[in-house]
Amino acid sequence: MNEKLALSDEILLSIQKPERYIGGEVNSVIKDLSDIKVRFAFCFPDVYEIGMSHLGIQILYGMFNEYKDVWCERVYSPWDDLDKVMRRDNIPLFALESQDPVKGFDFLGFTLQYEMCYTNILQVLDLSGIPIYSKDRTFDDPIVIGGGPCTYNPEPIADFFDIFYIGEGETQYRALFDLYIEAKDSGMSRKDFLIKCSQIPGLYVPSLYDISYNEDGTIKEIAAKDGAPQVVDKELEKDLSNAYYPMKPVMPFIKVTQDRVVMEVMRGCIRGCRFCQAGQLYRPLRERDVEKLKEYAITLLKNTGYEEISLSSLSTSDYTHLDELLDFLIEYCNEHKVNISLPSLRIDAFSLDVMSKVQDVKKSSLTFAPEAGTQRMRNVINKGLTEEDILRGSHEAFEGGWNKVKLYFMLGLPGETTEDIEGIGDIANKIAVEYFETVPKEKRNGRTIEITASTSFFVPKPFTPFQWASMNTKEEFLDKANITRKGIMSQLNQKHIKYNWHEADASMLEGILARGDRRLSEVIYNVYKRGCIFDAWSEFFKNDIWMEELEKAGLDPMFYVKRERTKDEILPWDMLNCGVSKEFLWREWERSKQGVVTPNCRQQCQGCGGASYGVGICFEPKTGV
Amino acid sequence: MIKLRMKFKKHGPIRFLGHLDVMRYVQKAIRRAEIDIKYSEGYSPHQILSFAQPLSVGSTTDGDYMDMTVLSCVSKEQVMDDLNKTMNEGIEVIAVSELDDKAENAMTSVAGAEYIISFREGKVPSFDLESTMKAFMEQDKIPAMKKTKNGEKEIDIKPLIYRWEIIDNKIHVLLSAGSASNLKAALLISSIYSFAGEEMPEFAPVFHRVDTYLSGEDDKGYYIKPMIFESCQDLSYAVKDGNPEGKVYV
Repeated sequence: MNEKLALSDEILLSIQKPERYIGGEVNSVIKDLSDIKVRFAFCFPDVYEIGMSHLGIQILYGMFNEYKDVWCERVYSPWDDLDKVMRRDNIPLFALESQDPVKGFDFLGFTLQYEMCYTNILQVLDLSGIPIYSKDRTFDDPIVIGGGPCTYNPEPIADFFDIFYIGEGETQYRALFDLYIEAKDSGMSRKDFLIKCSQIPGLYVPSLYDISYNEDGTIKEIAAKDGAPQVVDKELEKDLSNAYYPMKPVMPFIKVTQDRVVMEVMRGCIRGCRFCQAGQLYRPLRERDVEKLKEYAITLLKNTGYEEISLSSLSTSDYTHLDELLDFLIEYCNEHKVNISLPSLRIDAFSLDVMSKVQDVKKSSLTFAPEAGTQRMRNVINKGLTEEDILRGSHEAFEGGWNKVKLYFMLGLPGETTEDIEGIGDIANKIAVEYFETVPKEKRNGRTIEITASTSFFVPKPFTPFQWASMNTKEEFLDKANITRKGIMSQLNQKHIKYNWHEADASMLEGILARGDRRLSEVIYNVYKRGCIFDAWSEFFKNDIWMEELEKAGLDPMFYVKRERTKDEILPWDMLNCGVSKEFLWREWERSKQGVVTPNCRQQCQGCGGASYGVGICFEPKTGV
Repeated sequence: MIKLRMKFKKHGPIRFLGHLDVMRYVQKAIRRAEIDIKYSEGYSPHQILSFAQPLSVGSTTDGDYMDMTVLSCVSKEQVMDDLNKTMNEGIEVIAVSELDDKAENAMTSVAGAEYIISFREGKVPSFDLESTMKAFMEQDKIPAMKKTKNGEKEIDIKPLIYRWEIIDNKIHVLLSAGSASNLKAALLISSIYSFAGEEMPEFAPVFHRVDTYLSGEDDKGYYIKPMIFESCQDLSYAVKDGNPEGKVYV
């Protein structure tokens, strides 16, 4: 074990949760530097408890450390208390395992899971003493590489990164490391190294693309240079069942968001909800072999000692062998006192039966995500869930003893009317009525129905059918939240319905960054210089500074947010291909305007382009509509 | 069903774990080691496991304790070995004993704790420790402000200090501990500083727990002794007093 600590006892004792910074967690990896050719610092640019809950890092961390000549370590954003101390005392940011400064590493990798973490990237670079702009770095600085969903429009942060890895990390990192070792051995320049990187599939080197703009601020041209490909295709793991999966995940000392074994059962989603970015990015759906998953579950529980296992995917109910897997897990877990957590399950007789076996019915709640208040609107967004599904699921659940229901909706979806918004109150009320009709008074035992309806504001994302759509303004959002609230208040059973809604300012910024262009890099740099970090945390988010800096840069938030894009507009992310064709997305955009539902991948192929990868659901027989 | 008491030490970076996190860490280690520990009944069963005395964040120990009830085991030594195989990050079980069914659990039986208090570099007190301690202990009463649920209250800590000695400019003390009358080492050291009329620099003292004691009485009177005498550090009062069972009469 590593006895060395980068921070003094005095600092560790004066900050919150020193355990975030000491490393040494069970299953963390220490290596002998003499065997190492590539040191990789892997960063989730948010606080430790959030970052340690992320499966993607655990997969790549384990995979990289399987390589004899690579040592991968972890880095998280120092919380604001330590951030201040490090600046005051000029302490360089360090990686957890070796406690060595990040600046001396070969790579600094960021996983980019949400747009609101962008200033934290700058915090990590700055505290590490690495030049913030890619153009200012030398080959003595680490190569800064980004991966994850936000790389599908990396343009707002393009100036800060040397490379973006587009797609699933399992496939090309070894090639990148080999190229790096070769470059270092042969004395290649950093520039030539980056040019060579652009020839590796999936690697987008933003400095090799010149962006020019029209007078109206839209993009005129994206010009690739130095032989970089005009379009970078997403990388995809074609043999998921045999791909690397970490059997010894690092176990935090402190309680983190995901305090359990996380087992990914499949990747991708057949559903094609039109607002959902993940549903497009991870196409085509690939399932893991059920026998392997059974082995994984046992090994993971043994190697960690966790008391809970969670099945992870975008829509676990769609996993073909779910019955078989759950039967196995229920038996094993009951015997070994392990809980099973089942997020993203469709509520039906089967899932209720399973849930009643693994959870305390009295304490747990049912979750439905209708996303919209009327069937018309749900057709627009291609959300298959019907009111009948919800009421039938609720009815069965109430008979099984549940009495808490959580409902998730979005406001500001394209084409939304007042009627759609008021529908949110209606559906909540109908669930309450269903409860009173299903459970007679004498069986309620002093309990009653508790419904929580939550709304978030819809933010259009790249590579979705809504990438061309107009997003609502803050005022429109708040009006809609108000209509929702009034709609709920007017219901007969309103006292059983609780309503939560999100802040609108943060959604606006998310909207700007999600579909933003490269001109925003400067704004992000300027707001960071003025003290913005942890924008994802409402207590730190300083909207005024963002708006001021946008104005100073001559950029209009409405240009990014409110403007509906035309079919022929060059989008900032057009140098990337997520595997789903623009034609398909446009077709879906048109169908959504007509309120036409599109069948899911298991029913009928829609020719989205995902089949070009040659694997997964695309090559399975279809059930028909 | 067998009740086991384990003595463990904690050194290195893991000293920054809070008490609850140490408990969580051990619970998971027990599961990894596949120890046949007993679980409580009910919907969310938990391990029958109890810890003696919390240790403040940043402190090290050579003598902390936990009790666990196992349904079966090859031998108590095997449980210790299995557990140590899954805990290589600075926590190590160094001794194990079997308790009889009626034994009080680790937490309620704590009666004393032995510490070595040293000082961080650059934060060594300017007063002479030996003579200050001597004068400090010669007072009729040693008043100190103890934090309670209802604010602060003045108590006399003199009867709670069983033994003291200065070795290499470190304070070696044996203090009363447990639910009845607990003296925290941190309160002692701040009282010494205020007696000497000196402001204590923040984070100056470093605490190391030598051992944790339980109490008893025999024909020679009231005594305390390490919860497990085996693997006791040579410098401990339990060894130095020369009683074969580690009894320290106080």
